[in-house]
Amino acid sequence: MDISPAPRPVLELRDIVKTYGGVHALDTVSFTLLPGEVHCLAGENGSGKSTLIKIISGVETPDSGVIVVGGERHASMTPASAIAAGVQVIYQDFSLFPNLSVAENIAMPRQRAVGGRFYSARAARPIAQGIVDELGLALDLDADVAALSVADKQLTAICRALVSDAQIIIMDEPTTALTGAEVTALFALVRRLQSRGVSLIFVSHKLDEVLRVSQRLTVLRNGTWVATGAAGDYDRDAIAGLMTGKDIDTSRVVSAVPADAAIALEVKGLGRPGAFADVDLVVRCGEIVGLTGLLGSGRGEIAEAIFGVRPATTGTIAVGGHPVRIQSIPDAVAAGIGYVPEDRLTQGLFLDDSIADNVVAASVTAFAGRARLLDRARMLAFIQSVASRLRIKAPNLSLAVRSLSGGNAQRVVLAKWLMTNPKVLLLNGPTVGVDVGSKSEILEILRTQASAGMGVVVISDDIPELYSACHRVLIVQGGRIVCELAGDAVRVETIEQRIAA
Amino acid sequence: MMNRIAEADGMRRGGAERRDVLTDFVRKIHVNRSVGQMAALLVAAFAIFTILRPAVFLGSYNLQVIALAAPEIGILAIAMMVTMLSGGIDLSVVSIANASAITISMTYTAVSSRAGVELANSLALPLVLLGLVVGVAAGAINGLLIAKVGITPILATLGTMQLFNGLELVVTGGRTLYGAPAGLSTLGTTTFLGVPAIFLILVVVAVAIGVLLDRISLGFRIRYQGANAEASRFSGISSTRTLLATYTIVGLLGGIAGVVFLSRNPSASADYGASYTLLVIVIAVLGGTNPYGGRATVLGVVLATLCLQVVASGFTAMRLSSQQYAMAQGVILIGAMVLDYLRGRGSSR
Amino acid sequence: MSTPALRQRRSGLLSRWPGRNNEGYLAALLLLVVAVMSAAAPAFFSLHTFFSVIRGATVPWIFAMGVLLVLVSGGIDVSFPAIAVFSAYSAVALTTARGVDAGLLGNFALAMAIGCLLGLVNGILIARFRLPTLIVTLGTAGFFRGAMITFVGATYIAQLPRSLAEQSTRSVISVNTEAGTTFLHVLVVPVLILTVLIALGLKHTMFGRAAYAIGGDPEAARRVGIPVQRTQVVLYVLVGALAAFGGMVFMIQGQAADPQMLIGIELDTIAAVVLGGASIFGGRGSVLGTVLGVLLVQVINNSLVLVGVPTAWQRATVGLLLLLGVGAQAWAGRRPRRAAPAAVKAPAVKAAA
Repeated sequence: MDISPAPRPVLELRDIVKTYGGVHALDTVSFTLLPGEVHCLAGENGSGKSTLIKIISGVETPDSGVIVVGGERHASMTPASAIAAGVQVIYQDFSLFPNLSVAENIAMPRQRAVGGRFYSARAARPIAQGIVDELGLALDLDADVAALSVADKQLTAICRALVSDAQIIIMDEPTTALTGAEVTALFALVRRLQSRGVSLIFVSHKLDEVLRVSQRLTVLRNGTWVATGAAGDYDRDAIAGLMTGKDIDTSRVVSAVPADAAIALEVKGLGRPGAFADVDLVVRCGEIVGLTGLLGSGRGEIAEAIFGVRPATTGTIAVGGHPVRIQSIPDAVAAGIGYVPEDRLTQGLFLDDSIADNVVAASVTAFAGRARLLDRARMLAFIQSVASRLRIKAPNLSLAVRSLSGGNAQRVVLAKWLMTNPKVLLLNGPTVGVDVGSKSEILEILRTQASAGMGVVVISDDIPELYSACHRVLIVQGGRIVCELAGDAVRVETIEQRIAA
Repeated sequence: MMNRIAEADGMRRGGAERRDVLTDFVRKIHVNRSVGQMAALLVAAFAIFTILRPAVFLGSYNLQVIALAAPEIGILAIAMMVTMLSGGIDLSVVSIANASAITISMTYTAVSSRAGVELANSLALPLVLLGLVVGVAAGAINGLLIAKVGITPILATLGTMQLFNGLELVVTGGRTLYGAPAGLSTLGTTTFLGVPAIFLILVVVAVAIGVLLDRISLGFRIRYQGANAEASRFSGISSTRTLLATYTIVGLLGGIAGVVFLSRNPSASADYGASYTLLVIVIAVLGGTNPYGGRATVLGVVLATLCLQVVASGFTAMRLSSQQYAMAQGVILIGAMVLDYLRGRGSSR
Repeated sequence: MSTPALRQRRSGLLSRWPGRNNEGYLAALLLLVVAVMSAAAPAFFSLHTFFSVIRGATVPWIFAMGVLLVLVSGGIDVSFPAIAVFSAYSAVALTTARGVDAGLLGNFALAMAIGCLLGLVNGILIARFRLPTLIVTLGTAGFFRGAMITFVGATYIAQLPRSLAEQSTRSVISVNTEAGTTFLHVLVVPVLILTVLIALGLKHTMFGRAAYAIGGDPEAARRVGIPVQRTQVVLYVLVGALAAFGGMVFMIQGQAADPQMLIGIELDTIAAVVLGGASIFGGRGSVLGTVLGVLLVQVINNSLVLVGVPTAWQRATVGLLLLLGVGAQAWAGRRPRRAAPAAVKAPAVKAAA
């Protein structure tokens, strides 16, 4: 990169303060973006990354501070003024219009931004085609965005950002929904943009990605600025330390499981065309088994099939030695299977309901007593005991779940399943969006549950976490389990190699 | 729902947890804001009209009118509330009520013309049951369309509203039918300690739905379904069964409302209560029901019903027109929503 | 991969079949109904029937245009009948009370100005306070009707101003047939013009596309710089003016100004628009589909009488048709979701909604 010694920043934020209801989301944060650089903004969930992006893009107004874009000072931006200043954001949720065609999604905002009162679908097409061709993509311009795959939606969002001659592109967690090959393609694209002189802010909590693409790095923690520097000056552990402010405990703690321990879950020849095939899996009581692989490998689909979300079409499942037929989620729950979904906010929690309501959601029927009336005293006693066992930190159980931290919210989801006393617990990304402190506590909860006789399956791409907690790690590729690591073979490097193999 | 449970527990644990009980109590008032708001509004409306027109407004006749007019609207509003709680809506509930009333009236007339009035009147109870069965069947049709076929509630019930209402027009020929079992008319005029019997029906319905929502697992499931259908599915709750049950129960409530129609007035027609559909949505929302689902209280809806009835009869007592009442209704609804919006912004942000 | 290629090979009209909102199926159904009715009752297939269908459809047609605009932008409006009555009745009452006749254009302009004002009230409440549109318009509907009777008047005006009254018999085409003279009403002309304008506006102006965008995802619209609040306010003002126009046409057709007119038509109109392929969740719907939906309902109403089915069956038939239409869509929508591979899963998008 030929960055001149003291280039004038294309974007500068000075002493930005933003509070929500008295809580500092950002506390006097400053940030500079140099021309043609990829600048990574790193931090844990809730560190203020998203708020910072929203302030740059004009979606939120800062309480105080200055924004300097292209040499002009602003106290705040509006979405329109940010776009006019050459700022484009590719949001984590893409912010596309599902009801409009790909071509219109790409071209319409630009046509509107250049001041057109009229819209011509005929004029929009070449504009969209131009950017799609320039990037060498194969997008169907006439398709409705609602019908696209996640990766194609992302590409559409990227095209929309690029078609507007953006000087600054912000990508918010762009890789979460992409497979390995797609991530590589995205990074190639990022480098091409860079060579065109575009500056990029790359928001991510995945440290490996951060180091692969960026020249500089800024770390936020709890709404405050922690560090800025050349990306090459930091290694993964250093960044993790900056993000969390703690040393991370990555030691491996696994209990001894007797080879003849009872079998909690046995899956044979499980398959569903187009998703996975010939999956054999045995989880003994007391055992924590990791299931990993790249995104799109089928690891999540296997778990969802066992839980009945989208049932398998072939194969057998036995829980606690009894064969069970799982065609729906209620079947799985009845068989003694619990599932902590990856998308906690939409699939795991009732955000506006109380902790107690959330905890009892999967087990409420079990408290029906005489005349089908619920025994509320017994119900509450159970909720209380599970909540205190999991150390859910909240002033009381009638608090809405929305107000809880990621770690506490995940404990609520866990508590919901422990209420059903499951024989098998499947967890998809159990510590996604959970701060480091809570992370190790959640793993500790899993160890405790396993020791109490439960069979636990952890689906995750967080390899240190698998290393730390799992007795065995299974690696999924192309919908098949291709490798099993056990005992001393469970090492971070080994898992990484096998996944990429 | 569980706030109350958590609170009771706080009391049980006593001593050391007293602060918890207090914060819980304060929070409950906050959570049930709409109940408090409606209660305050009801008292205020009552007081204002009492001061302005004590003789007319407090007259036993006026109070009787309120107690007689409130039940049918209240039951329909509770029905609407239950569907909204599950994240849906039922635009067909009034036509279900009319279907029940028309069935009872036609069957009664047919029996009495062939086998005599005495026999027809002696069959009051089976006839009422027949009306309720019609309501349940109609509700089950809604439930099947929504839960099994997968049509959005607002569209499914928009369609069945037209279908049911259309069929009613066909069987009645668009005329008003006269005739209802004498027992029903007696019910309409009976009072216990000055309280009309049909008002007691509203009370029973309110208590029953209150118990359903608070103390039966189905009630919890309805609420989960409305709060977050996806999370509800991932908690092992079958939305098919929940929604089927929800709309069937709502059909039953519609059937009960039809019986109340006939008790007040021994006539039935397809057009009865044409303005009720939108009115009961207004009442449900006023009573604190979240139109997006997951949040509602029976008490709030009952209070909202009474409140609007008090305002209506107060307007009559002041010789104001029903149109001025319609205006007041609009102002109250929008005022309450705007107030909620402004308050929500103050606290949650 | 074969689908796009396949699509390119097909050409012309066929390539767009059945249209983004299934307009093709609707048109086919309409033709089918016409064909069946013509076979059952030869008298049906006549210019007279055509003209009377058009005449009967004129008012629902106008209201349906307003409902379409609101649905496209993601809202539901039940206040348009109240706005229609308020505007049309007030315009006539205000002028007749002073013994003047504002003329055809004057009366329409006055009514539509009032309609704009009432629409502005809706728009401000909806855009400024972000309240659910159904609830807001429920409230304003009651308020508008009540306010009109209280402040403007409650009397039935049997004699419209001459400028309006003479329109009721004016025709644009009149044809002498064996059965007598049949004519196409003059008010069809402005309705057609309005329809074309709305179709063009929705398709080819930024305002129209913004309405679709907001209906698709309001937050995304805000993020790409679309002025969501302003667009919503303008939209409800337009819908108010359309409602007022519809109210005037209804009055002219009925040759009287009745403060109690147009009660209970809101849900029927919404049903016709939904039948025409518009989504009740916003972002989808077309002028062509809406017109087809309105015409289908009207043809069914007219033809049932001709083939000897009591008029009472009309409503039930429309209800059944609506259920079949949305039911088929819902059923079709379920299938792919069940069988779809992993790619359909989109957690990020769900979280945004």
